[in-house]
Amino acid sequence: MAAPAVTLRTPAAELARPSIGFWSDALHRIRHDPVTMASLAVLAAMVLLAASADLLAQHVFRFTFTQQDLLRTWEKPTLDDPAYWLGGDNLGRSQVVRVLYGARISLFIGVFGALVSMGMGIALGLTAGYFRGWWDDVVVWLVTTLSNIPILFLLIMIGLYFRLDALSLSILIGMLGWLGIANFARGQTIALRDREYVQAARSVGASAPRIMLRHIFPNIVPLMIVLAMVDIGGIILAESALSYLGFGVQPPQPSWGNMLSGATAFYFKGPHLIVVPGVAITVTVLCLYLVGDGLRDAFDPRLRGSIGVSHGGRNE
Amino acid sequence: MGRFIARRLVQAIPTIFGIMVITFALTRLSPSDPVTIMLGNNPDITEEDRAELRQKLGLNDPIPVQFARFVGDTARLDFGTSSHKRPAIEVIGERLPNSLQLSVASLLLAIVVSVPLGLIAGVKRGRIADQAIRGVSVLLHAVPLFFLGLLFVLVFGVGLGWFPVGSMNVIGESCLFCWDRVWHMAGPVIIGATGGIAFIPRVLRTEVLEILGQDFVRTARSKGLRERVVLARHVFRNALIPIVTLFGGILTILLGGSVIIEQVFNWPGLGRLLFDAANSKDYPLVQASVLIGSLLLVVSYILRDLAYAWVDPRIKAG
Repeated sequence: MAAPAVTLRTPAAELARPSIGFWSDALHRIRHDPVTMASLAVLAAMVLLAASADLLAQHVFRFTFTQQDLLRTWEKPTLDDPAYWLGGDNLGRSQVVRVLYGARISLFIGVFGALVSMGMGIALGLTAGYFRGWWDDVVVWLVTTLSNIPILFLLIMIGLYFRLDALSLSILIGMLGWLGIANFARGQTIALRDREYVQAARSVGASAPRIMLRHIFPNIVPLMIVLAMVDIGGIILAESALSYLGFGVQPPQPSWGNMLSGATAFYFKGPHLIVVPGVAITVTVLCLYLVGDGLRDAFDPRLRGSIGVSHGGRNE
Repeated sequence: MGRFIARRLVQAIPTIFGIMVITFALTRLSPSDPVTIMLGNNPDITEEDRAELRQKLGLNDPIPVQFARFVGDTARLDFGTSSHKRPAIEVIGERLPNSLQLSVASLLLAIVVSVPLGLIAGVKRGRIADQAIRGVSVLLHAVPLFFLGLLFVLVFGVGLGWFPVGSMNVIGESCLFCWDRVWHMAGPVIIGATGGIAFIPRVLRTEVLEILGQDFVRTARSKGLRERVVLARHVFRNALIPIVTLFGGILTILLGGSVIIEQVFNWPGLGRLLFDAANSKDYPLVQASVLIGSLLLVVSYILRDLAYAWVDPRIKAG
């Protein structure tokens, strides 16, 4: 038999173009998204400043965060003295130094708390969705119960019973903030657990932990990264609210929230004392949310608007 | 409907049980001893007296017995005596209407503002209006409630003098429904409503977009109805159904935010009560506030589900 005269068109032409993987595709999209890039830059600057708070306080501002100057109370922001760039507070302490140390606390609690809540949420959501049965009932019951308690009420009650430092505070907020993550992880796992490739893995004898970690978990990683951004923002907000009320980070350790604790006294003498910490929280959380939205669009443009801040409620 | 209500009520039992376990466990696990809290470190009170009080309070009983007693007390709304020398429930009963008034007003304002915004964003998808609404929504999510409240007081209270800087009435006046109260409510209600305004429009927008793609919308258009009629009769009416389900979520936000808002605006409601009670280490009152707050949420979620089943009968079957 002669070879067919017509040569079949192979997809070779398309294949000549290097294939683009999931992550490099996402990276490409993010690099061309100005809002996300700008937000990332702001966050990076914030982390850098917070990390070098000691150095800056020592060498640039020459002020510690507890140092007072009672001759310069309520100092308005001035360019003359670096320590008072952002003004001084009711005790003449340097606000710029205190905001820097506040950034440390807020970012630490946000990131560490998010690690705790992501860990709990993923572990509980994955196992509940995979095993179903009584374990699923227990997890769903936990989620329902905790979502029926006003979290800020509960945090105040716990703050009354136990002494909290930054570490225990972040663990605590994380332990109460995993509900949304568990719900997402559980839903995704239920959707994936009966797919053919999971059944195939099961049929060749893969153990349950292996299936969950190697076959299901990688599918929800992009979603979880998006949720992590929103989560960090939500935890920073929760911490600042609690510290504002006086049940979170305790003075003299400055946090963005507790810097606003005595704000009623600032109305007339020092509006800058209200604006600066408030703007710091808002900008940080806003950038986290925008990065979350940008990542969601980059990972899967079809998801646009379906998860993240533009969907869920406040995390307070 | 009767069976649905019964089923929904039964579903609430494990939740209430969980809430009670958590509050009870926290009290038991706390390092502070209830007897010391009650008596202080008064040297006149002997060790025997303390032991006697301990026995009388039932603190030597097995934990399950103590829990059963706690459940019984809660069922009778007996939360013990607050440091106001009155039953905790009485103190809460006085404050609760103030909080509810604020919550209901915030809820209404949030809906009145959000519904048009959401519908516009859905219909004008991708246009400037849509982008602006999305931007405002993300921003409102990111601003801490107390900062927004403080700014409001700073600008409109202290700066412009349009609104009072705190409390519920002019000194000497006290009324629940009058012009003076409305004037004092403006600030906390506006700030409270932002919680809902941050997310209701987004939900409505998604809903509108989904309904615009439905067959019955195409039918309505193809039979020649004017676009205005299509939107008003077919799209908006259906898009507004899920508003009902949002009530539960918004109430969570409002109740959680009540501590903050009542603190910023010096509004004597449940949140403010909890704040003061925690600061004066009034343990029975704190415990009672948390329990009552949680039970309010449970009830509001039940009401939400019933309302949703009422407007959308398909829910009852599921």
